[in-house]
Amino acid sequence: MSRLDRTRTSPHQLRPFFSSQNLLNRADGSAQFDFGGSSVICSVVGPAEVKIRDEKLDRATIEVVARPLVGLPGVKDKTLERCIRETLEPLILSGLHPRTGIQIVLQTMKDDGCIMSTAFNATILALLDAGIPLKSILGSVTCIIDAQSNQILLDPTTEELAQAKSTHVYVFDNKTSIPSKESMDVDRNNEAGILFSDSTGLFTEEEYLECANVCFKAAQAVHGFIRTAVSKKLEKEYQQTQA
Amino acid sequence: MKELEPSTNEREFLLAALRQSARIDGRNFYDFRTLRLSFGADYGAVEVQLGNTRVMAKVSCEVIRPFQDKPTEGFLMFNTELSPMASSAFEIGRQTDEEVLVSRLIEKAMRRSRALDTEGLCIVAGEKVWSIRVDIHFLDHDGNLVDAACIAAITALLHFRRPDVTVVGEEVTIHTLEQRNPVPLSVHHIPICITFAFFDNGERVIVDPTHLEEQIKEGDMTFTLNVHKEVCALSKAGGIAMEMDQILQCSKIAVVKVTEITAQIQAALDADAKKRQISRK
Repeated sequence: MSRLDRTRTSPHQLRPFFSSQNLLNRADGSAQFDFGGSSVICSVVGPAEVKIRDEKLDRATIEVVARPLVGLPGVKDKTLERCIRETLEPLILSGLHPRTGIQIVLQTMKDDGCIMSTAFNATILALLDAGIPLKSILGSVTCIIDAQSNQILLDPTTEELAQAKSTHVYVFDNKTSIPSKESMDVDRNNEAGILFSDSTGLFTEEEYLECANVCFKAAQAVHGFIRTAVSKKLEKEYQQTQA
Repeated sequence: MKELEPSTNEREFLLAALRQSARIDGRNFYDFRTLRLSFGADYGAVEVQLGNTRVMAKVSCEVIRPFQDKPTEGFLMFNTELSPMASSAFEIGRQTDEEVLVSRLIEKAMRRSRALDTEGLCIVAGEKVWSIRVDIHFLDHDGNLVDAACIAAITALLHFRRPDVTVVGEEVTIHTLEQRNPVPLSVHHIPICITFAFFDNGERVIVDPTHLEEQIKEGDMTFTLNVHKEVCALSKAGGIAMEMDQILQCSKIAVVKVTEITAQIQAALDADAKKRQISRK
């Protein structure tokens, strides 16, 4: 079955990944992540000075700023900021840096659907680049249930999103293993580490759990990609110090 | 977050180097940093890299109702909000002086100079006009945001294609990108900003200052010219006083720089157009 963007054939196929790290000079850490035609740059500054009114005595204050590609920031961007901040607050070991601030800034460079997932992945790469201590990494994918075919389509483009009956964004951590053949259901396996889940539209409980399953498998690819990207970067840095 | 002042060591080193006719990054006084232009898949998306300074511009358009007293004029809007990504000294919601200056300079250079023909954006007088919006995103601040932003904005406007429109009597049809090829905007001329920084009571003049040079400078001046040697804007907001001869000399240097940069922009646009033609076939 051919998807609307004509480059993918399977409904469970992700668009090609692309990432780039340490691209900005002023930030402590920065990364760009692409899901096909969607691209988000993230910069991380921290642990750094924080305003007294935002200071927390026993942990670092995490601030997220999201800027859209076109126009002034609106409700969608504020929602993205809040979602990312609330997902990251338990993930970052903020107790190691009390009374400091970690500022995360996101800029959408290209928009072809799944900006929230792209933003999550860019953020985790930037945090790794900045050396912020984390409990685990995360990986995010989006899927939709098509209104006409009732199929689950992974990593939709803007065109596919327009025809969706429901949209689901999942963020998984990398501490849980792939469930075995016997326990394929996410709800039976208590260890499926869902850090964030956002669903809109009309869907049943079975559809939600099935989407979670599909996205969980796809998120493994994202985790693997993040691991490869970071190890390649470290290898290159090591070679530069040797030369 | 407040920005740290450069240390005395850095300041003295930079000034001592300038007195020996050298710049910290090895450039000559009148050299620009390497300018890199890259275009996105969509029309109107440009990323400019001027050394370590990175700026991205995105042009978008929509059809709206014109002002009642100007029924045939379209709109051209610039958004130059500085985000903390470029530098942690920039805060959301609070505009620093630098931000205000950058915003004003872009407006003066682009809008006041009438680089874009707003009359050509009219579809139906009094009812429908195009509103062109240029969003300039600052990704990395290593000095000279104005020049980089100006190059990004004008290149994005030259690169952008708006949907084609046909007006038959009262009926207006806005063609989608599949129906008809989109049309470029009518850009009259290409204004380019060239910023100068002064040191040592105006004796040393450099072009395209880096962030460190900007923090230590005694004064600065921005010339906005086009290839036809026409001055679109000249901004000298404060700083030490400069003699008339020096200003005229700067204008001569600016002319040379503008010619170089305009040629580079045209070359990049032509290369991108060729690439799109090949991919379409």
